[in-house]
Amino acid sequence: MDAYLVAILTIAGIYVMLALALNLQYGLTGLINFGVVGFFGVGAYASAIATETFHLPFVGGLVVAMGAGAVAGALISLLSLRLSGDFLAIVTLGFAETIRLVFNNEDWLTGGPRGFLIGTRPVMSGLGRDVTAWAILAVVLAGVMVAFLVLQRLSTTPYGRTLRAIREDDLVPATLGKNVFLYRLQAFVIGALFMAGAGSLYAHYVQTITPENFTTPVAILVWMSVIVGGAGNMVGTLVGTLVVVTLYEGSRFLSHWTSFLDPEQMSALRFIVIGSVLILTIRFRPTGLLPEVSRAPAPPASPLTPSKG
Amino acid sequence: MQLLINTLASAAVIAPAAIAFTLVFTLFRYANFAAGGFVTIGAFAAWTLNAALGLPLWVAGLGAMAVSALGFAAADAVVFRPLRGRGGGTLLLVSIALSFVIENIIRFFYGGQIRGFDLPLTGPILIAGMRLTRETVAVLSISLAATLLVGALLTLTPIGRALRAVADNASLANVRGIPVPAVEAFGVAVAGALFGLSGVLVGLDLTIDPNLNWAVAIPVIAAAIVGGLGSPLGAAIGAIGIGLAEELTGVFLNPTYKGAVGFVVIALVLLVRPQGLLGDKVDRK
Repeated sequence: MDAYLVAILTIAGIYVMLALALNLQYGLTGLINFGVVGFFGVGAYASAIATETFHLPFVGGLVVAMGAGAVAGALISLLSLRLSGDFLAIVTLGFAETIRLVFNNEDWLTGGPRGFLIGTRPVMSGLGRDVTAWAILAVVLAGVMVAFLVLQRLSTTPYGRTLRAIREDDLVPATLGKNVFLYRLQAFVIGALFMAGAGSLYAHYVQTITPENFTTPVAILVWMSVIVGGAGNMVGTLVGTLVVVTLYEGSRFLSHWTSFLDPEQMSALRFIVIGSVLILTIRFRPTGLLPEVSRAPAPPASPLTPSKG
Repeated sequence: MQLLINTLASAAVIAPAAIAFTLVFTLFRYANFAAGGFVTIGAFAAWTLNAALGLPLWVAGLGAMAVSALGFAAADAVVFRPLRGRGGGTLLLVSIALSFVIENIIRFFYGGQIRGFDLPLTGPILIAGMRLTRETVAVLSISLAATLLVGALLTLTPIGRALRAVADNASLANVRGIPVPAVEAFGVAVAGALFGLSGVLVGLDLTIDPNLNWAVAIPVIAAAIVGGLGSPLGAAIGAIGIGLAEELTGVFLNPTYKGAVGFVVIALVLLVRPQGLLGDKVDRK
């Protein structure tokens, strides 16, 4: 297997983690978080600062990153979760944009637009290039496993059913004595924690992070993974991410037939395709490739219409 | 005083789009995040007509408004209308995806570089110690005229009354014999033209850049929320508020943080007064 495929799988694994975390927030709980890249970025930079500035080992960086993600998630939810869906979307989008501006401006902390160099790796040094790439892939896949098992477990237990109930209509679980706000907050914080963890792995994989790594296209890819795969279904999210990454990375192999386009046009075209597929999916197959499994006799309401939308 | 001029100029640029955003919100109950995309369409259409085809700027400006009105009408017919009734969250997500598509279509055809209108260079005029460029004067007067015109349209004309009736309660308006689809189509066209106008004003005040999308969408949405969603007058006032907040931050903080100001203001307003300055009846369920 060539190095390119290893690289794609590593990146795909990181996207799977982001998408699974978003699926907990949006797919299960109906929280519209457009700040995915914000939490991803917080994790990446927190981990980078912890390992490079404060010389912690990789694991320390990962823990710091997840902690920072959870704190950021808690702050954002306290600020906005009492408001309805659209406002949460706006506030999270704003958070991501503000965070990106901080990365860009605070050179002393983040290296500014030139980026932050990261020497610490998730695996031992001196392994040689190919082996290192494989080892990092193994670490990322282990991370995916952990994220999948934890989130899948959450989604199939009574806890997950409560989240779904809140998504459909928060009045009913509230009447049953569930603290709706607390459940929303937890789902948001857990999601943010995993997003930040993915950010940490990403930072130590690519070794140079710049604010440009944390812009809207990443968020769109993650959203598309959840929607195309099937919101509310963790396996669907996994499949959705693989479809999206294949679509996105696979288009590189078409460059042979599209040589009349310059690289900027090619990149624009890929994003046009991705945005359009997202719109078409929402329009024609809102439940995604693998719809959410419902144990209720009645057909489930479309997961794309959270009652608080 | 210079601060005042800058504030008013920033406000004037975003006011038409903020009014359009609030118009779309009252008519169809969704936050149209593609606002920035249509502003970018307006800016590039005006640039094409003016700099590439050599038309005078006012003709290009009107043309740009027509182009973005058509663009928004097409988007409404193809993307938004079929999804009506699927909840604000779905429409919001779709509008983000759409703005992303628009941004990249523009990048595909125009590339990434920054452009400006074909205007003669003129020095600033000094009035009472304030530096005013001809462009600033134009931006201010065009935006004020457009705001007043839309305000008059909504409050004084029969079609404006019909628009407000449909926004209030479409089925009731229908029963009363108002042709709802026609009125909605008119609202969409007006909103599209206003997005386009903001694009032209951006081009006059600053530069034209495919990255305009978010840079414009954020203050526009902020202005609409600050003013109170659903109130066109509120949107205009909200625009001034955002302009002021942006200019004031520039005094105390690194001006590159300007882009974050809109969000901080949104967060504060949502915490303190979720209905905005002039919004009263907010049904957010």
